[in-house]
Amino acid sequence: MFRIIQQMIIIFLLILSLAALPMIIEVNSAESKLEWHFEKLPKVYGDFISEVSKGSLGTYRLGTQVRNIEQDIGDNFLTSLKVMLIGVNASIIISLLFGIFLSRFRLTKLFNYFINILAAIPDFIIIVMSMILAVKIYRWTGIRVISLRPDAGALNTWFPTVLVAIAPTLYLFKLISVKYFQTSSEDYIRTAVAKGMRLNYINFQHVYKNIEPFITAELVKVISLAIGNLFIIEYILNVSGITKFIFQSGEIQPIAIGLFAMLLISAIVYVSVRLVFYLFKRGFIYE
Amino acid sequence: MNKLLKINYSLYIGIFCVSLLLFLCLFGPIMAPYSLTETLETQYTDGKIISPPMEPFESEDYPLGTDKWGYDLLSMILHGIRYTVVIALAITLIKMIVGTILGLYIGQWKRTPSWMIAFENAWSYVPLFLILYFFMMPINFNGQLETRTLLGYFIVIASIISIPSIVSSVRLKTAELNKSVYIEAAKALGASRNRLIWKHIFPQLKETILVMFILEIVYVITIMGQLALVNIFVGGTLMRFDPLIYISVTKELSGLVGQARLNIYGNTHILIVPLIVLLFTTISFSLLANGLKNRFQSNYARTPWIRIGQVPRMKPVRKQFGKQGKFWSLNGEKLAFLGLCLIFIGAGTYVYLTKDSDVGVKNFSKAAYDIKLEMDENGVFNIAATIQVKNKSDDAWKELVFYFIPNVFTEGHAFESVKGNAIVKVKEIEVNGKKADYSLEKDTLKITLPNNMKKQSKQTVKVEYEFTPPEQGVRFSKEKDNYYLAQWYPMLATYQNGKWNKEDYSDGVETYHVDFANYKVEYKLPEGYTFISSADRDPKPEVNKGTVKMKKVRDFFIAVTKDMDIHETTANDGVKIRLFTKSDHDKKIDDSLALAKGALSFFQEKIGAYPHKQLDIILDNGPFMEYPGAVTINPYIQDMNFYRTSIVHEIAHQYFYGVVANDQYNEGWVDEGITEFATSMYFYVAENQSEGQAFALPKHRMDMIKEAGLGRQYSNVPVHELKHTGYMYGQPAVELLKMMKAKYRLKGDNVKEVGMQFLSDYYHHFMYKEVNTEEFVRFTKDYFLVPSGYFNGWLNI
Repeated sequence: MFRIIQQMIIIFLLILSLAALPMIIEVNSAESKLEWHFEKLPKVYGDFISEVSKGSLGTYRLGTQVRNIEQDIGDNFLTSLKVMLIGVNASIIISLLFGIFLSRFRLTKLFNYFINILAAIPDFIIIVMSMILAVKIYRWTGIRVISLRPDAGALNTWFPTVLVAIAPTLYLFKLISVKYFQTSSEDYIRTAVAKGMRLNYINFQHVYKNIEPFITAELVKVISLAIGNLFIIEYILNVSGITKFIFQSGEIQPIAIGLFAMLLISAIVYVSVRLVFYLFKRGFIYE
Repeated sequence: MNKLLKINYSLYIGIFCVSLLLFLCLFGPIMAPYSLTETLETQYTDGKIISPPMEPFESEDYPLGTDKWGYDLLSMILHGIRYTVVIALAITLIKMIVGTILGLYIGQWKRTPSWMIAFENAWSYVPLFLILYFFMMPINFNGQLETRTLLGYFIVIASIISIPSIVSSVRLKTAELNKSVYIEAAKALGASRNRLIWKHIFPQLKETILVMFILEIVYVITIMGQLALVNIFVGGTLMRFDPLIYISVTKELSGLVGQARLNIYGNTHILIVPLIVLLFTTISFSLLANGLKNRFQSNYARTPWIRIGQVPRMKPVRKQFGKQGKFWSLNGEKLAFLGLCLIFIGAGTYVYLTKDSDVGVKNFSKAAYDIKLEMDENGVFNIAATIQVKNKSDDAWKELVFYFIPNVFTEGHAFESVKGNAIVKVKEIEVNGKKADYSLEKDTLKITLPNNMKKQSKQTVKVEYEFTPPEQGVRFSKEKDNYYLAQWYPMLATYQNGKWNKEDYSDGVETYHVDFANYKVEYKLPEGYTFISSADRDPKPEVNKGTVKMKKVRDFFIAVTKDMDIHETTANDGVKIRLFTKSDHDKKIDDSLALAKGALSFFQEKIGAYPHKQLDIILDNGPFMEYPGAVTINPYIQDMNFYRTSIVHEIAHQYFYGVVANDQYNEGWVDEGITEFATSMYFYVAENQSEGQAFALPKHRMDMIKEAGLGRQYSNVPVHELKHTGYMYGQPAVELLKMMKAKYRLKGDNVKEVGMQFLSDYYHHFMYKEVNTEEFVRFTKDYFLVPSGYFNGWLNI
């Protein structure tokens, strides 16, 4: 518990200092030197805290308009949350399925090759390539696969969701495959095989149980991967999610609020994955 | 089949691709066909309009196509790839070294402090590119900081922020190993902490860390790519408004991708080409990492008990204990690696040596001269010239074409400036020792080859003849007791664009165009004559027999003089200046010598090293003329200013004629115009004259043209079309000065400094190459970032 509080405090401070970075770094163009204005910090934070303590989230600039953050954040938050929730959960389920339970089938091998090739390509290249592909598909067939209009509903969000899911899937699938390979040569597996247990049974009762802790340990990393890509994807695909606040200005208010919203999204996603695991264990595995 | 499947392909392909990348990093900019500022200009060729953006593979000149503005994609990639790879390597190196050391030591602690773990967790949550984004955003745009500073900041910050994750994984692995029994045993034996870490734990982690290192390279490139998508380009972003575009300063690969991001809608190749190269870069490193991992894994793997999907099937490569005695054992892998190294070195050397081969105009006929010269008491010269000719073209030659200028001065010539007549008798011409047919008309000597001369072959031509120079001729002349022999031997014409480039001799400016060649001249003179020549090691006065040699000069001048005074001085770098004169003129020798020394030293300092070891200045009646290593000056003219200007002019020609070649018939302005500019710059900079004074001569020439009412003419016209020499001499100098005045701010603080720097850069770029208008425009356009149209006023492009 103590560690969790510690972590929360550190993340809190980290976000605040990150959000203040654009305000305190400045280039002295006369001498072309970088200057840190730490003396601005108290005022920056003071403003932020006083704004928040008033019960308002403050304002942000959209073009020449000044808008209230709390008015706009609801929709954006939900969009991002939806993308993240579906993306991360899907990626975990897919990688578990193919990594362990369907691992022995021939079809999985194909999937495995596919994943291996994708894994060698950095995420941002996949993102750009898939966009080119989407544009090409529209050119060839006239079918609109994606839309970059923020108000296009599902057409606007399904593609980002898939893209968000790709990076965590690649990472998790690799991790699970390696762990599965290592686990399967352990002695307790030999014992189980010797006892005449069926493969599915071994997979559920022995392998999964031993791999799950690794996944839980890597969960933060997985979510952070997804979040990292979410920034890029929302920016490029023009999804009006939470990153809108972060990229659109150099002010502390929207950046900090945006990052905290991200943190909240991560927390919700984390809890949801743990919940899925819990339900899975209750449903399939005898404790 | 099974054996084939077991080969670790990803390791081998990875090593190959990574070496290729490193090669491109080292030699990319040298191999780039264009500079970063050269653009494809819209043009109309063969009934087709060529305009940017060019698609890949559409034109041979632009193999990967160009972007919207006409910049060559291949060149940009070749320039940029080194930034991508080197930055990624630098960041990875820093963070891996620091992270590994910290991780190893912290992993040894009994308990890791909880704040540290909390920090690691918190840190791993924040996407690293976001930290970099917030850091770079205020400083990255529009060159507020120098590129180097920006790169430095980027490398440092990117390294620092990714250290925690390295520390964390190394720490965990160390802690794991620390629990092993063998560590326990080492501890019991009294091993110190350092020994435990470096002798017991690190060797176990070595391989994992290597794989991690390579994967981290990919990771860094990924971060750079992510940043590029939000318009933060490593090394700086140029932001242009109306329309809003972002341009990468360094042309680093991910920057190229980022700046072409909006091309997903059209002209996709501008985006896809750099994207594919970037993909190739990352995949190369991934393959290498994967291959290494396969190898290490197969060495330590145990066989699974149940059926699972992916079982690595690599053949383990284990250390064979007991076989350590052999230092070098040959096997396929090592042999292949050695081969790769050799290819790398060989290709690198090749690229380095041929880096300048695409500069300048090509000539495909090469000659080497070995000439015997014998002069008798009556002033008759007997010559036996052995010329080795090489055909460097792809055509088979039926004939060889030479300039044979002495022949135009024979009786009945129409040149008013030449008083007497020359006598020329060709005795025999042999090709490879066999007599050959020839025709001699005016100054064109055509030798019919008995056998066709195949490409890349050599033949030896021997020409035996005798001549007497005309009294008071031009360049090739007899002045009282002195003989001046310029273009006195058969000079091989240039073979360009599939044909012999030989034009007729005409009076006035030079009309011959030959390539650089090596000379060996054996001479024999009557008693009392002095031999002066282009060569660096001329004999002492009145030595009448000997041999001189000269390498890489455009022609070989000889003066045979009697009773002339010699004055000597030394310019920079120990270059000897000799001045030969009689005492029957009113010009002060000391002043002339001082001027020559001043001018040569100035050019040596500002333009480049003088190409020879000695400069001979001969004062005698006749034209003002430059030859490699020797100039002739007429001291009998009245105009003192012109006399002084000419001395400087002919010395400047040692650079812009002697070393930077051009076709004097068709592109005479290239040497004369630039020499005139250099001459004026000498008076402007070294003697600190006013601009009007320094450029008085070229301006005067232009005024004369105006008075004569000749109107306008381009400078680059062939000699027979030239209406006035002012277009060839004065106009380029005036126009170059105009350009310097308009554009000097791009390169420096004042016209003087930039003008000299331009001459120096021009000289170094085209040393021992031939320049024509096109090459000049290409160079200058790029130098001052002007379009071709900038030269329309005085050059026909």
